[in-house]
Amino acid sequence: MSPGRPKDFSKKQRELRADTAKRLEAIVEAAERAAASVIDDAEGEARRYLTQAREDADRLADRRSAELAETVDSLVVQAISLRHEAERLQASLEAAKARIAGAEDLPAPAPAERPLEELREAPRLRAVDTAAPAPAPDPPPQVEATRADPAGARLLAAQMAVSGSSREEIAQRLRSGFEIEDADAILDAILGPEGR
Amino acid sequence: MTEATREIGFEEARELEERYLMRTYKRAPVDFVRGEGPLLWDAEGKRYLDFLTGISVCSVGHCHPQVVKAVHEQSHRLIHVSNLFYTEPMARLAERLAESSLGGRVFFSNSGTEANECAIKIARKHAHRRGVAAPEIVSFESDFHGRTYGALSATPGLATNEALGPMLPGFRSVPRDDAAALRAAVGENTAAVLIEPIQGEAGVFPISEEALLAAREACDEVGALLIFDEIQTGIGRTGSLWAYEQTPVRPDVVTSAKALGGGFPIGACIAAPEAAEVLEPGDHGSTFAGGPVATAAAMAVLEIVDDPVLLRHVRELGAYLREKLEALEGVAETRGRGLMVGVGLAGGIDAAAVGADLLERGLVVNVPRPDTLRLLPPLVIDSDHVDLAVDLIGESVLGFTAR
Repeated sequence: MSPGRPKDFSKKQRELRADTAKRLEAIVEAAERAAASVIDDAEGEARRYLTQAREDADRLADRRSAELAETVDSLVVQAISLRHEAERLQASLEAAKARIAGAEDLPAPAPAERPLEELREAPRLRAVDTAAPAPAPDPPPQVEATRADPAGARLLAAQMAVSGSSREEIAQRLRSGFEIEDADAILDAILGPEGR
Repeated sequence: MTEATREIGFEEARELEERYLMRTYKRAPVDFVRGEGPLLWDAEGKRYLDFLTGISVCSVGHCHPQVVKAVHEQSHRLIHVSNLFYTEPMARLAERLAESSLGGRVFFSNSGTEANECAIKIARKHAHRRGVAAPEIVSFESDFHGRTYGALSATPGLATNEALGPMLPGFRSVPRDDAAALRAAVGENTAAVLIEPIQGEAGVFPISEEALLAAREACDEVGALLIFDEIQTGIGRTGSLWAYEQTPVRPDVVTSAKALGGGFPIGACIAAPEAAEVLEPGDHGSTFAGGPVATAAAMAVLEIVDDPVLLRHVRELGAYLREKLEALEGVAETRGRGLMVGVGLAGGIDAAAVGADLLERGLVVNVPRPDTLRLLPPLVIDSDHVDLAVDLIGESVLGFTAR
């Protein structure tokens, strides 16, 4: 079939086509307006979520920072406390050494002199029964000292705390290993009194 | 499936072993082919509850998905380049290990005994710097530190094998837990005291706090190093990442291996800052050690184990396990800490026979002494697994008690 002239639409058909085109255009415009509105809504929603998320993140970061700062402060305080404790221990050991040296220089040292007794008893955390009769000769003092060594107990408690042990678990080990019945002082110094 | 990967079954594997492997092991008659969590399967499909974990190696359970993923990913990226170059997984793991223990520095090895060799070198060189010409290392009798010659010489129970002699000079031992003997043995020539905080191979014997304090003090008096062999006790086994964290002392050097790689061979010697600078280029080395795959596996293990929730679980479940065991007829005592438990059987019960019977019943345990079962279950088990294991042990022991 050879190409001919375009079909001659009737007036009614042309009007119908124009009307259809207008309606389609209106539908598309309406759809575009609706889509634009949806996009605007979505963008608004996203902005709100973003703002909310940022605020939440900021709050969380602030809280974490505060907690971290608190923890660091607490650790610093504990470190200072431990250092002071170690210095006191060092000083008392030096004093004890000096006393022992002095005692050895004496021509006839009396057995169980009061200062020597104090030296032996000093590291112990358990109360000494003063009403008890004079004790038998002490076992080797170094070995005995380890049983209630407060520095050892503190290190044990600190290491257990670092490894995540609870206050009760540490207290139990201090009781079984060091015969420390009331460990609150040590535990408060390391964990703080809040966990009691 | 190629000839090399064809499943051959128990009988053929045993025949090949008989023909080709050196006779260094007495193996139990089981051919394990698969593991998942706390469970193992043999070639015939029988299922076992594993309370040994390859001697405290698979502490996170068999084929833990995170370990498998780490090994899989790293082995597709880079397997080996040697220690002539930097590799990221090794650097990251060194940081993680040092920061979670003594600070200082790490030397990686391929096994526990090699980690101890490194520690021995550090101790001797440290002593030479103090002017000690013939340094000595002091251990407890029944310590186990490994089977290479340095570690073997520090393992009194094995060092007496004259057929393998002579051992290295410069090692001595004192009775286990004897604080006074330890103090007496440590002198100006002492380079180090090398001990297990809980003796594992000997049958799970925790060293007392008195003896540990004595060791620390004796070392401090002469300037020697205190070395803790935490190859079995470390990586969460006792309920803290390191066993020393539950003792009143802090060692100068810690050695680690076994559970560190989750089944992948790796060891580490970790030195505190005061001992970390002792070894210098040329003093020590290893071709394979610290390889990317092993260190990636270890990093995955630490991600799992270095978790306060899991460590608390280990402590609580360990206490539960021991309480239940101690209620059994035929159990005289339990020893240990966390999920490292020795079960002392009542007089006359043959632990080897009980161990073999338990294997038949589907529970894998170890027998380090004629009177002791050693339990080293995965750290990730729950109380149901403990109940099952204790039921099986109870039934087995009861059978031998009645005989």
